[in-house]
Amino acid sequence: MTTALEPKRRTIYEDRIVTAFTASSILWALLGMAAGVYAAAELVWPVLNFDLPWLTFGRLRTGHTNLVLFGFGVSALIGTSFYSVQRTSHVRLLAPRLAWFVFYAWQLTIALGAWSILAGWNGGKEYAELEWPFDIAIAVIWVSYGVVFFGTIARRTVAPIYISNWFYGALIIVIAMLHIVNNLAMPATLSKSYSLFPGAQDAIVQWWYGHNAVGFLLTGGFLGMLYYFLPKQAEQPIWSYRLSIVAFWAFVYSYIWAGPHHLHYNAVPQWLQSIGVIMSLILLAPSWATMINGVMTVSNAWRKLQTDPGLKFIVVALAFYGLATFEGPMMAIRSVNVMSHFTEWTIGHVHSGALGWNALITFGTFYYLVPKLAGRPLHSAALANAHFWLALAGVLLYILSMWGAGLSQSLLWLSLDDVGEVRYSFVEVMRAMAPYYALRLVGGALFLAGTVLMTVNFARTFAGVRTVEVTPPLPAAASHGEPTPTAVTAS
Amino acid sequence: MSNAAARIPLLRFGTVLFAPSTAITEIGANPPSSTAVFFGAAIWLGLCPPLFAYIGTSLFGWRLGVEPMFLAPATLRAIALAYLALLLVGFLSTAFVAHWMAATYDADSSFNRSLALVTLVGTPLTVGSIVHLYPNAFLNVLVLVPTLIWSMYLLYRGLPALLKTEQGRGMLMASALIAYLLVAWVTLLGITAVLWSHGIGPQVAT
Repeated sequence: MTTALEPKRRTIYEDRIVTAFTASSILWALLGMAAGVYAAAELVWPVLNFDLPWLTFGRLRTGHTNLVLFGFGVSALIGTSFYSVQRTSHVRLLAPRLAWFVFYAWQLTIALGAWSILAGWNGGKEYAELEWPFDIAIAVIWVSYGVVFFGTIARRTVAPIYISNWFYGALIIVIAMLHIVNNLAMPATLSKSYSLFPGAQDAIVQWWYGHNAVGFLLTGGFLGMLYYFLPKQAEQPIWSYRLSIVAFWAFVYSYIWAGPHHLHYNAVPQWLQSIGVIMSLILLAPSWATMINGVMTVSNAWRKLQTDPGLKFIVVALAFYGLATFEGPMMAIRSVNVMSHFTEWTIGHVHSGALGWNALITFGTFYYLVPKLAGRPLHSAALANAHFWLALAGVLLYILSMWGAGLSQSLLWLSLDDVGEVRYSFVEVMRAMAPYYALRLVGGALFLAGTVLMTVNFARTFAGVRTVEVTPPLPAAASHGEPTPTAVTAS
Repeated sequence: MSNAAARIPLLRFGTVLFAPSTAITEIGANPPSSTAVFFGAAIWLGLCPPLFAYIGTSLFGWRLGVEPMFLAPATLRAIALAYLALLLVGFLSTAFVAHWMAATYDADSSFNRSLALVTLVGTPLTVGSIVHLYPNAFLNVLVLVPTLIWSMYLLYRGLPALLKTEQGRGMLMASALIAYLLVAWVTLLGITAVLWSHGIGPQVAT
């Protein structure tokens, strides 16, 4: 009997690459968040740039966003998608060598890309600042990622394609499309290129990219993570699988139109701005459908909260997801946007999503994943709990200080004197913001401190062990009445 | 303290703020009626922030980091009344949401318990609103953020006992209530922005 099963037993999931992506994601999180905290400190004490171009706020802030978005966020997404796609397809990852190419090439691109930004290379498009050599490298890596991911799904031994794979798949396809189109440019030198799109069209394409990078990477990609790891952690099937499918298609259809709301009161057609507003408001429905699905799934798993430190992160991440996906459409309304745009309110909104949703869901997932990969329990639940409270306090301090700063800014900017001139100069308003910036610095530092605790905890969990080898379930076992969790609970 | 007040542990600020376990146990074991909570505690606590804000703004003006901004008396009265109305709407709506959510989390859905919970949670913030007496925006943020954290602690700590549910379920329900409160707060910001951009906003005294 053992001999008959032996060939199947030799198939093991390719999980070492998941460990590698998890480790690199945490490394970039530490560096990226530290860069953010340092940039925040520069807004309180400008002397901290020491008159060094590499340390100026403009470069450091861009380095921060690139490291956390593409280093921390994307590494986490690729790693978790490789983990879950194998288990939901019951097969080993297609072309492991290509997957390892994705890993090393991505890390090299992030490291050199961060260096290039600090050195002053900048394409001038937000969240797409990397210059053309990096854009080509990213396109190649991303397509390779797609080949591995979709190739694995194509080889699956179970019929259904689980919902998390739909979200990860949308992430891969749409980001490839956005990245390639938005970065079409004419290189002038190694470090400088010019967009193929002129004037306002360039702005429209940029925010079609920018908002959908938020949509399909920071929302869709992380929903893929949620739909696999939440049911696993909660040991409950998704509350409504049908709702998750409906929400997916509504999400995909409506998100892609919302970009023009970044261009209110700009030189783009009014009708285009209005479409951006309407589709942003419609977007609330699929966003909240997903939130309700998550909340109801976890509401049946309350006993696990006592034993699973990661589940708390996911519960709170869902609350911030609800907040950010409500706040975003609201800020797309023109008469709200006239006040919020260019103020710190926007920065607070972005971080309620980035810290409250993306980072917390990733931390929660890692707290599940790392003990599985290491094959031993988490080193310290107490450290994980301390991390949770530091992260929660940090994100709340951050967004509250930015709400306060944003409202004060808009009040001061919109104040006119008796002859209709702006009452306060830019410098006066900037000076008035300093206390809020100090509070934001404290919030960011608390969040970073929590991430350091998590890193120590994982390092101790993994000390001296290798990634555990796991085999796919045998088809014979599945056919003998074992649950087929890919359909509803993500095997 | 009158006999009526003595019967309502919610009005014993020292106990609520600094010995919350005692207050939570007392209220959970013997919850006051909805009328007693509302008229005996909540309404008085709710009056504090608008009153302090009215006095502070009259005396010192809004201080946003530039020169003080004094408001016309009619504007000041309107803002104080709107503030009170919003606090009451926020208070009652949160209690209704807790009452509505209770079944999902296997908690006691008695409305008086939900009202008592929201009053308990709101106490640090309403007491902390004394800082409105000097309406420097940053000073207010500095004082109200720790009080908000204390309120959140009371929510997580108090909900399981007051609504009689298990710790784990209580944690989930408290997180769901925080999500509601965050969304309600952002809605308020949005409504303010819409009104403001349509010309309905504070008139600065000249």
